[in-house]
Amino acid sequence: MSSDTDIDTDTDGDPKAETDVEDREARERLIDLAAAFYDQFAAGDVPTMAIPTRTKSNIEYDEDAEVWVYGDRESTRSANSVRGARKLLKAIYTIDFLAQQLEEDRSSTLRELYYLSESWDETEAQFADQDESNQLVEDLEIVSSVTREDFHMRPEESGATLMGPLRLREQTRRGEREIHCQEDVGEGGYQIPNNPDTIDFLGCDAEFVLCVETGGMRDRLVENGFDDDYRTMIVHLKGQPARATRRITKRLRDELGLPVLVFTDGDPWSYRIYGSIAYGSIKSAHLSEYLATPEARFVGIQPSDIVEYDLPTDPLSDSDVNALENELEDPRFQTDYWREEIELQLDIGKKAEQQSLASRGLDFVTETYLPERLSAMGVL
Amino acid sequence: MTAFQSTLGEEPDIAEELAESQRAISIAEFFEKNKHMLGFDSGARGLVTAVKEAVDNALDATEEAGIAPDIYVEIAESGNYYTLVVEDNGPGITAEQVPRVFGKLLYGSRFHKREQKRGQQGIGISAAVLYSQLTSGSPAKITSRTSGSEQAQYFELIIDTDTNEPEIQAERGTDWDRPHGTRIELEMDANMRARGQLRNYIKHTAVVNPHARIELREPGGEFKAERGTDQLPAETEEIRPHPHGVELGTLIKMLEASDSYSLSGFLQEEFTRVGATTAKNVLGAFRDREFGREIAWSPPEREACIEAVTEVVANKSADATETFAVAIANRVLERDRLCHHELRAAIAEAADAATEESGTTFGDTVQEKATTAVWKLVTESREADCYELVDEATTSRKDEAVVRALARRVAAKFDGGGSSSEDAENAGDERDRATSGTIRSYVDRAADTTVERDEAAVGETAREKIADALWEIGREVPDDPPKVSEVAADRDTAGRLLEAMGATDIIAPPTGCLSPITDDLLRAGLEKEFDADFYASATRDAAVHGGDPFIVEAGIAYGGELESEGTIELLRFANRVPLVYQRGACATTDVVKSIGWRNYGLDQPGGNGLPNGPAVLMLHVASTNVPFTSESKDAVANIPEIEHEIELAIREAARELKAYLKKQRSMAKRREKADVLANILPRMAEKLTDVTEREPLRIDESLARIMNNVLVERTVEDGRVNVVVENNSTTSESPTITEIVSAEPSDLSNGARAVEMDGEWFIEWSPTVESGSEATLEYTLNGDSEDPSFDLDVDSIETEKVTLNTQASQST
Repeated sequence: MSSDTDIDTDTDGDPKAETDVEDREARERLIDLAAAFYDQFAAGDVPTMAIPTRTKSNIEYDEDAEVWVYGDRESTRSANSVRGARKLLKAIYTIDFLAQQLEEDRSSTLRELYYLSESWDETEAQFADQDESNQLVEDLEIVSSVTREDFHMRPEESGATLMGPLRLREQTRRGEREIHCQEDVGEGGYQIPNNPDTIDFLGCDAEFVLCVETGGMRDRLVENGFDDDYRTMIVHLKGQPARATRRITKRLRDELGLPVLVFTDGDPWSYRIYGSIAYGSIKSAHLSEYLATPEARFVGIQPSDIVEYDLPTDPLSDSDVNALENELEDPRFQTDYWREEIELQLDIGKKAEQQSLASRGLDFVTETYLPERLSAMGVL
Repeated sequence: MTAFQSTLGEEPDIAEELAESQRAISIAEFFEKNKHMLGFDSGARGLVTAVKEAVDNALDATEEAGIAPDIYVEIAESGNYYTLVVEDNGPGITAEQVPRVFGKLLYGSRFHKREQKRGQQGIGISAAVLYSQLTSGSPAKITSRTSGSEQAQYFELIIDTDTNEPEIQAERGTDWDRPHGTRIELEMDANMRARGQLRNYIKHTAVVNPHARIELREPGGEFKAERGTDQLPAETEEIRPHPHGVELGTLIKMLEASDSYSLSGFLQEEFTRVGATTAKNVLGAFRDREFGREIAWSPPEREACIEAVTEVVANKSADATETFAVAIANRVLERDRLCHHELRAAIAEAADAATEESGTTFGDTVQEKATTAVWKLVTESREADCYELVDEATTSRKDEAVVRALARRVAAKFDGGGSSSEDAENAGDERDRATSGTIRSYVDRAADTTVERDEAAVGETAREKIADALWEIGREVPDDPPKVSEVAADRDTAGRLLEAMGATDIIAPPTGCLSPITDDLLRAGLEKEFDADFYASATRDAAVHGGDPFIVEAGIAYGGELESEGTIELLRFANRVPLVYQRGACATTDVVKSIGWRNYGLDQPGGNGLPNGPAVLMLHVASTNVPFTSESKDAVANIPEIEHEIELAIREAARELKAYLKKQRSMAKRREKADVLANILPRMAEKLTDVTEREPLRIDESLARIMNNVLVERTVEDGRVNVVVENNSTTSESPTITEIVSAEPSDLSNGARAVEMDGEWFIEWSPTVESGSEATLEYTLNGDSEDPSFDLDVDSIETEKVTLNTQASQST
């Protein structure tokens, strides 16, 4: 099975050459940015950089792509203020670093960038913390329209995994590997690489994708053989999903036509996990088209499940209530379904974890809850 | 108990025994007991106080004579004692006066004067003499020379502590290098532990007396304050006391000393701001208190009036009697209300009229009888009148019967005849005359009875209203006020006069008696003694408290060499005298602490208390009578009017400080920003050049724009020099631009002229450049000059706001 599909990809041409073109393009865009600053200086103007405001109030629904993207509001980083000047200086140093990295065809992690800045001779250009460097890379992604993966910047491995009847081919540093995500992997599953675009899907027997928030629930599903019994691609989100996890989920939907279902805890933070998979996150709304899976649907735990199955619960904390109220105003959650569920939860004042289903027995989730929910959603 | 009684019985002469130990205390004992009050409670403090008293005297003496003070203070160790010498260049003191000025406590020219002077009680310098004499046993040595006299007079004197009289131990003529002045030398048991206070006292004195030259020499060093101005303080004029500012004792003394016969004359003669009208008003108020008022009631029926008069007139013809009676009735009935003396006057008038018409005389006896008869009728209106007043004054909810009962009882209190036994003992004046206090007591008693008998509440407000209403219908009595001598003889009467003076509206006293330092000189004083970056001062208009006018002044010095650690330095002054001790008890300190200094840009931990920072705050209270908390005059008392003015003065000066600090902070921010950006932007440009692989960047223009600065840029091309002034700030700017060039310039633009000096040419422009625009200044260099040197300088604008770029390429 592996050998015949190999030939298809080869016809696309030398993948190495392809990457080089992309790298050159990315590098040029970075240098264009620098050139824009240069021109502003040369004209005697104050160098500035405008980027979309990354807040809840500045995201809007893109009807064509069916995802949430940034609106028109921009904030300007200007060398007019000490703060702005420092930010721009760091941006220019980062541009220099990234351009060089691309030229040398190397890569680094976000954390490495943060530590690397310590070695820069200009102390004003050094990052104060990793949030600052992460944010700056995001800024550069936005203004250059190049993803950070294409800058050869990767996050730390998030450790998210896949398990299910899928055969794929990954380009690793040690050459191409063909992997079947049940047969060739251990109990832990197939680890999603940082840049899932290096993966080709070869063959798939799965009926649907089930994204699971917690490790405990993923292990329960695997132990109970849910992936086999229901031919399920189990994606372990590991909390708030990394870009790579969201990207591969989207590809599973787009390329293999699998329905995507999201199974999380029943609390406001978990709804945000669903939101970032389905609609895109506020921080990376510029990449929504690339990362979001608008077709993804929410399985549970729904507040109505808490009532229906009489699950063991915890009371909502103040921050939970705040988060729920924020979600009621979040443009991404403006549907009848979410409004009803969130209002119900505020009403009962309770939340439940996925694993609370175990109160009905270890097999309850695989034998009763999921089959019932999935049937109701028309997946089974 | 028995023991006690027996003791008493055995010693009947205990009073005599006590009397034996009772004797007049000597002035020395008095001093010993009260030295803390006078500021001599320790050796350290005694020295400071002695210096203070001597210097205050010296300043007063010189100023009074219109001489710019030149004061020399010397403190030297001599054996176990310290010798204090204070010299001034004042007018000198005549030989007769010297012993009394220095050798008698409570002798002075100012105690009774309303004039702003440093010393007031006449205790100060003689107390210092006494202190010296008691601690060292040596006499005070005084040298004084009056202007024009051949020789100075030298005295050695002590105070006889039994008699409080000076005792001269030596007196002779002596030579002295000062043409006029006074020198006092005191030896005392003292120490220099209060050196800080002593120096502060001299330094602070110099601040508020910029016209004085003061030199201090003490074992630890010397201090000299030169004159900051030749302008002497404005001469003060003495004013008579203001009626609102005297106390009972003073008033009695003034009454005793007055030559006036009538009170009206006395008031106009002895007090300021009292003319005929004010005197009349005071006397009206005084009569009200002295005699009370006569309550005026509604007039009786005409017929009853005529009948009553007719009845009491005997031995007159019927016609004449009727004429008389009708004349009375006419006069009585033309009034709404009338009181006893009005009735009496009306009857006298009627008698005259009747005599004229009928030829019959109606003498005093008849008039008296008629008055009594008609007054009886008038007083019958009391109850009805009182009902009206009570009804008006009480709430409408009151029971009709209660109101009637209360009115009846109030009315009965006036009934001198006393129909019921209950009221007989309260017999009022038969003319229904009562003071407001008496009226109130009538109302109270009536109300109490009502409360008791009718079980109805009569509140405080209702009582007050009723009493006020009755007082209102009272009429001033025509009695002549007592004579000055009578008032002086009776403390209670004098008290009522004082009360009347206080109750009368009288315009504030004149302020010519005050001599503020004035804000300009105050500033000069601060500038002279404190090396700071910023000075502000404020002098308030005169205000009045208790009949004494006062003026508050505030000054602030900030920054420079002032101590920036800890709280600000607070200098307190009263009548130009530094207050050294008891800072915590002083009204000025309280006010300073109560102000929110953060609002004025000073650090104030916790938002109250003395602020921190490199600042000196000085406060001066000038008054004809500064209210101190004690005789040692260390702290101003908390008088609300004075505190209010202190606050306003501080706020006025602090507002200037705030504006200054705000500007400083914005300039500091700008400097800081410039510093950071001057580092960041070149690195940015360098990196950009690197990344884009283009030519090196010049960023001055961007920098100037970022800093909202004025960019001055010079370029030289083919012997033509261009100076471009680009204003990126938000306001229009007028910099002065000076170019010094080593070659001869010509063709100068903008009307500038070149001035040659030692082979260099000075060119100056003063362009005004609007916000956001630029000006180009040009000149041409002589062709043959080789490699000329330039020096461009920009003035009349904060350096922080200028970006000077003369590195511009001199391409040819």
